[in-house]
Amino acid sequence: MARVKNWQINREMDYPYSESRPKKQWSIIFDLNKCIACQTCSLACKTTWTSGKGQEYMFWNNVETKPYGSYPLAWDVKILEQLGQQAWKAKEPYYGKTIFEAAKPTEVVAHFHPKDEDWMYPNVGEDDCAGNVPHGDHITLPHDKWFFYLPRTCAHCTYPACLASCPRKAIYKREEDGIVLIDQSRCKGYGECVRACPYKKSMYNTHTRVSEKCIGCFPAVEQGLQPMCVQNCIGKIRIMGFVNPPWKMRKNNPIDYLIHDQQIALPYYPQLGLEPNIYYIPPIHADREYLTQMFGPNVDQAIERYKKLKDDPVTQGLLVLMGSTDRIMHSFDVKDGIAYGYDEKGDEVVRVPVTEPFIERTAYDANLKSLRNNTP
Amino acid sequence: MKFKVLFLLLMTPAFAQAGDIMVKKVKEDFSKGLDPYAAYWSQAPEVELSLMAQPMMKPKPEKPETSQLTVQALHNGNYVAFRLRWKDSEKSEAGKLGQFSDAVALEFPVKSNENPPSVIMGEPGNPVHMFHWRAQYQYDEEHGKKDVKDIYPNLAVDAYHMDYADSGKWKGATQDQKEAYMHGMAAGNPQSFPKKAVDEIMAEGFGSSAVRKDQDSFAKGEWKNGEWTVVISRALKRDKGSVLEEGKSSSVAFAVWQGGKDEVGSRKALTLFWTPLKVEGN
Repeated sequence: MARVKNWQINREMDYPYSESRPKKQWSIIFDLNKCIACQTCSLACKTTWTSGKGQEYMFWNNVETKPYGSYPLAWDVKILEQLGQQAWKAKEPYYGKTIFEAAKPTEVVAHFHPKDEDWMYPNVGEDDCAGNVPHGDHITLPHDKWFFYLPRTCAHCTYPACLASCPRKAIYKREEDGIVLIDQSRCKGYGECVRACPYKKSMYNTHTRVSEKCIGCFPAVEQGLQPMCVQNCIGKIRIMGFVNPPWKMRKNNPIDYLIHDQQIALPYYPQLGLEPNIYYIPPIHADREYLTQMFGPNVDQAIERYKKLKDDPVTQGLLVLMGSTDRIMHSFDVKDGIAYGYDEKGDEVVRVPVTEPFIERTAYDANLKSLRNNTP
Repeated sequence: MKFKVLFLLLMTPAFAQAGDIMVKKVKEDFSKGLDPYAAYWSQAPEVELSLMAQPMMKPKPEKPETSQLTVQALHNGNYVAFRLRWKDSEKSEAGKLGQFSDAVALEFPVKSNENPPSVIMGEPGNPVHMFHWRAQYQYDEEHGKKDVKDIYPNLAVDAYHMDYADSGKWKGATQDQKEAYMHGMAAGNPQSFPKKAVDEIMAEGFGSSAVRKDQDSFAKGEWKNGEWTVVISRALKRDKGSVLEEGKSSSVAFAVWQGGKDEVGSRKALTLFWTPLKVEGN
């Protein structure tokens, strides 16, 4: 066991391999306030990568309703159960155990092993809200009935549990972009990665008899393009880029800006200890205790900041850049009401107005000599 | 380092618990029609070996699901056949997600029979040669590889790429074009293609095992009344592999997996020392 730095829990932790950060780290940020679970991301991924034999049940990208949805069944509840109750105070390091530290002496990580029926209901719990709705109940705002949608891909973790647990060392993390891949020519289908990944994003293919996972759309990323799930997000809730650790933070990097500077985007279940690289802007109307369990004790601060975005033209500008280009933005700028995105070379790839221009027209059109009709 | 010291101790003959395996010479054919219950097996002395939970590489089993292995061996001058028996309360052939196959493996040193490498997967520069039988592989050989529809009969699929029920004037796709959508196959992973009952594997340490493309080995297993009886036969002499010579001694090691108890890969029971093997001469 090596001791490695995990900035998300703000302490050193045990990991089977020594710390080796990639030159760049693939990352996606999702704004959960905007996701409508249309599943366009799931289908973009499915049609691109998992339409083959043996992949019928696979969703490398899925969207589940929280708290009752989950794919595979109850993955989050089961891994939290394995970890047991742990404490984490705001603004302090997490002193509880990670799944590496909570492992039995014979195991690499604390884990559970999903059975095939657990993978059969990708939309279980869809649109189910938390809390009973007794007869005669009605909604008062802010409401105590809540749910939110959680889109998930592989988190291409800095400390992947799948990689750590593969006895064949058939899983590797790319130095150039941090994407974690299962070598399809060396994997023997032992399923150790399926057992070990707490987010359950490694999946076994019954036809090829080896395991597979989200590949971060590396052929697109290599060409400076965002993954298919990001490009196709009609709600424009996602942005893919490269995240730096906080000590290498660059403020004009859109990902670093939201995660490190504004601290409104948070990793999910950071207490598991993998330093996952998908980040979420938490939903402002969901149960706060649940969100704290999922995103850690800084969730309150993230939500308070998000609520004040109306006074922050720079962050607003970045949020409108999300989903406005297929290209990866390495830096951004907001000036005079216009948000600009730039590629790795610094060339402009997109510009959008922070606020769409508002045009008011008179009721009477003098050119056509007719009244304008507002029929929708 | 401390593991190595432990293993040197365990490998010394003084610590060997079991008797040597005596391989009698007979005139049976071990290259086809293998029968685990053939009458000729009564000529082969039985050796009882104790197995341990794999202790070196995580993930490990907490306890050995299989603690006893009964071994017999015979040869005919060209092939040596091992008859392996162990208790297993259920037959597991894998297939569905999260299901694993029952399996057994033989392991031989390649370079030196007197001073063999680490019994667990060999060492860099000092390889081992293994013969890995799986119930799942035997099913492939006997019935063909299970299709997804055989594993999940109620699965609903509209169409697979390049594989249409009515392709009109199109002549249809080549196998290569279809396999482009099946990543393990596209990558040429031997695991993804139909198997013979036994795989021949070379390894030089943990995680280095590679399946040999050339193969001169056969296997047949039967599960009856809570017990597997598996016969694996191999050519005495293998090019770039292990060589057994008549009238000489060698070493062999064993591993057993119970798929129904979630054993696979490094989760296995094994003999923690090389067992001496004496091949009868003329």
